[in-house]
Amino acid sequence: MPVGPLLRAVATDALTDDETDAVVSLADVSKTYELGGTVTALDAVSLSLPDGSYTAVMGPSGSGKSTLLNLVGGLDTPTSGTVEVDGKRLGDLSEPERADVRGRTVGFVFQTFNLMPRLTAAENVALPLAFQGVDPAERIDRAKQLLDSVGLGDRYDHHPPELSGGQRQRVAIARALASEPAILLADEPTGNVDTDTGEQVMGLLQEVNDEGRTILLVTHERAIAEHADRIVHVRDGEITGIEEV
Amino acid sequence: MDGRETLRLATRAIRGHKLRSALTVLGVVIGIAAVVTFVTLGASVKADVVGQIDQSAANNIYLLSGPEGGDGPPQAAGPVYTERDLENIRDIEGVDTVVPRGGVRADAVSARNGTVALGANSGSVTATTPAAFDRATFLEGERFERGQSEVVVNEQASALFEENLSVGDGISLTLAGGETANLTVVGVVNRTGTESPFQSFSQQPQFYVPTDPYYDRVVELSDGTEQRAYPQVTVVANPAEVTATKERIEAYFPDSDAAQLQRPGFEPSARTTGDIADSLEELVDRLTRFVTGLALISLLVGAIGIANIMLVSVTERTREIGIMKAVGARNRDVLVLFLAESALLGVVGALIAMPVGVVGGWAAASYADVPLTFVPEWFAIAIVVGVLVGVLAGLYPAWRAASVDPIDALRHE
Ligand SMILES: Nc1ncnc2c1ncn2[C@@H]1O[C@H](COP(=O)(O)OP(=O)(O)O)[C@@H](O)[C@H]1O
Ligand SMILES: [Mg+2]
Repeated sequence: MPVGPLLRAVATDALTDDETDAVVSLADVSKTYELGGTVTALDAVSLSLPDGSYTAVMGPSGSGKSTLLNLVGGLDTPTSGTVEVDGKRLGDLSEPERADVRGRTVGFVFQTFNLMPRLTAAENVALPLAFQGVDPAERIDRAKQLLDSVGLGDRYDHHPPELSGGQRQRVAIARALASEPAILLADEPTGNVDTDTGEQVMGLLQEVNDEGRTILLVTHERAIAEHADRIVHVRDGEITGIEEV
Repeated sequence: MDGRETLRLATRAIRGHKLRSALTVLGVVIGIAAVVTFVTLGASVKADVVGQIDQSAANNIYLLSGPEGGDGPPQAAGPVYTERDLENIRDIEGVDTVVPRGGVRADAVSARNGTVALGANSGSVTATTPAAFDRATFLEGERFERGQSEVVVNEQASALFEENLSVGDGISLTLAGGETANLTVVGVVNRTGTESPFQSFSQQPQFYVPTDPYYDRVVELSDGTEQRAYPQVTVVANPAEVTATKERIEAYFPDSDAAQLQRPGFEPSARTTGDIADSLEELVDRLTRFVTGLALISLLVGAIGIANIMLVSVTERTREIGIMKAVGARNRDVLVLFLAESALLGVVGALIAMPVGVVGGWAAASYADVPLTFVPEWFAIAIVVGVLVGVLAGLYPAWRAASVDPIDALRHE
């Protein structure tokens, strides 16, 4: 569904105007890489996410989806433009403050799970809390509750290599929720699991959204994107349209 | 992140590579154990040397000849202390006794049951005065008298003969000129207490004869007079002012015949037992420092081993670093985590090194034939050194870990 530049402008304007309850807003954000030539991963993107919304970013491989997500999560820094998350302009933050945004304000779920291989499921889930100084007994309790809530009550002490892909992704979702973040960032969360398991994962994300957390989901699959309330189409680092589902 | 969690994660990372960690720790163990070994050996040698110093010699001042400027050990470098010098020194305040000593050339000693060549004794017997035995411990008999054909032997000299020499035995000395002197043994002494600050000195066989009539080395002074002169003199000082007495003797030296009679480049030297003990301790300390310095090189190699393995570890765990940062780790958390890991390698190395070093020190001490002396503060120092080695070796790798870009890290592999 190619969307014209006009629609795009209208759509982004509509979203940026609505800043009162925006929990994430990007203004003219660009990201370029200098590798021999200049690669423009994102080109002057403006976008805002209302609090409690469920947005999918959809586009072909290499269109800049992951870059966008990483900028929102404070994992990456833009070449130009500003990113505001939960009232904080990330560009103004010091390194430890940005680490705090990653640890408390947002939670990441990755395509490749990114669990610590030597830690048990419960320890993985508790890890973000360790960096916030939560005491060990408390964080393990919290981790176990979260594992219960994603249906892994019998897998506390298993290490990631002993778990299936779907189980690993559920551990990752539990970990992303450990510090009660306002925003969940999911980058192709179903990319490495089979279709049925993918549906389970999407079900969990829906529950997370129902709890009132904002979700930003990145995918190249329409079927997955349709779980969201809105789909933001990207191509070659630009937003080509926004579609309400 | 709290310290306990940091330690737990660091321990787990170390356990994750058992052989690699063990080999790295081995490098530190060798370094620290080598240092502990040589420090222990040094302390043992020092304690042994100090223990050798004869406490009954505490008030002695040894007059010898030494190189000018005091660099180099004093020696008995020829007859320089004249009878006039002995008189003058006897008058110095604080001087109790003045005991001259000189060698009388002799080729052999015969007793009724055999003849012993004196080659091993530098071909001489010792001529001295009865005062030499003021503090002596006699096993049998007593000192000789001036002007008599009498000899005092020590235990070792007595044992040179098939049937030990004892009081009343007659011996004959074959003197350098070919004449023979017949003497009667009047005493067997354990040690004289005036010859040397070291007890071990008395373990050489010694024959003591009276200077009168057996010592006849004379020197000619610039005024043409001839005087009997001795290469070495022991002054026994008043215990309350040994150092002051030594200084007064030194003040006399410029006017002494001894100063005039010195070979070019030499001057009279006065050293107390304390001075000799100090310079020996200094010598042992210097040797210990040198050898410990060599051992420190192996510790440096151990530290490089830690740095190396930590760098490998950072590279291998780049992705884990990215994950930690994605879930909220600050650069500082990552830095501390890796530092804890390398410090832990250092500490474990130090803990193992201590018993190994003590065993090494024991082996070295028994090889050197000195009793073992522990240096307990080195246990604490070794631990501190272990932590320090670990932390210093880990600084750069940990800094590299902390500055890993999370995006690059998550792309890793
Ligand atoms: N670290 C990087 N160095 C160089 N180019 C990069 C880097 N990260 C991303 N890119 C480039 O930026 C573009 C967008 O990448 P990405 O955001 O990962 O796309 P998507 O997630 O949509 O597949 C791609 O062309 C990619 O090659
Ligand atoms: Mg991507």
